[in-house]
Amino acid sequence: MGHHSNWPEWIYIGIVIALMTWVGAEAWNVERLVEHVPEDAEIIKVTGQQWFWTFEHPDGTVEVGELHVEAGKAYKFEVSATDVIHSFNIHDYVVLIDAVPGRVNTVWFAPDAPGEHDIQCREYCGLIHYNMRGTLYVEEAST
Amino acid sequence: MNGMIGLFLVFAILMALPALEAAFAAGDEPGEYVDRRVLIWNLFFRMMTVAFTVGAVVSGTMIWQIWRFRESHPKAKPTPYEGTDW
Repeated sequence: MGHHSNWPEWIYIGIVIALMTWVGAEAWNVERLVEHVPEDAEIIKVTGQQWFWTFEHPDGTVEVGELHVEAGKAYKFEVSATDVIHSFNIHDYVVLIDAVPGRVNTVWFAPDAPGEHDIQCREYCGLIHYNMRGTLYVEEAST
Repeated sequence: MNGMIGLFLVFAILMALPALEAAFAAGDEPGEYVDRRVLIWNLFFRMMTVAFTVGAVVSGTMIWQIWRFRESHPKAKPTPYEGTDW
């Protein structure tokens, strides 16, 4: 075997490292922004159980299977479960987080326009998982 | 060769710095009202652009190598360990 140049390999390795670094940094940056809860976010406790969702507002109001919020406000969900693992999902707002018994996971979002959106369970949780649905009602801002 | 590695390490750091700065800055003050749909889908589209570009370059290179270095290529040369009796 004679001597041969191996600089193409090093260029290849360099490009791969640079790309992976960029991909990791971009993803991390977006994750930080998305997870960074605004100070005035209203906390809503979300509980998943076979096979429905319960929502508790800060004033003690409890809703089952439906959630009413106002457009233009930020909401932080504290998500948990009472029996098995569920996953809280508002597909239209890209909200998705596991609901795990004995653990509180958080996710926040700020609806920007009035409308109705589906809430669903995205972790198979038993026989009626397919019908563990709810509705998010985004209403006009009151103030 | 070490110089080459160092050079690419510098390039990698230079590419990552702006994103890292923005990420660290985000921890200093209360979060803004960001639209997670926009952020997440934009990230997805950027990552998919990178993924498909890299995929095209890698598969294109492999296809070219297979075509160029086949035994029957007019410019094929035997390597030393293959012998010279062609």
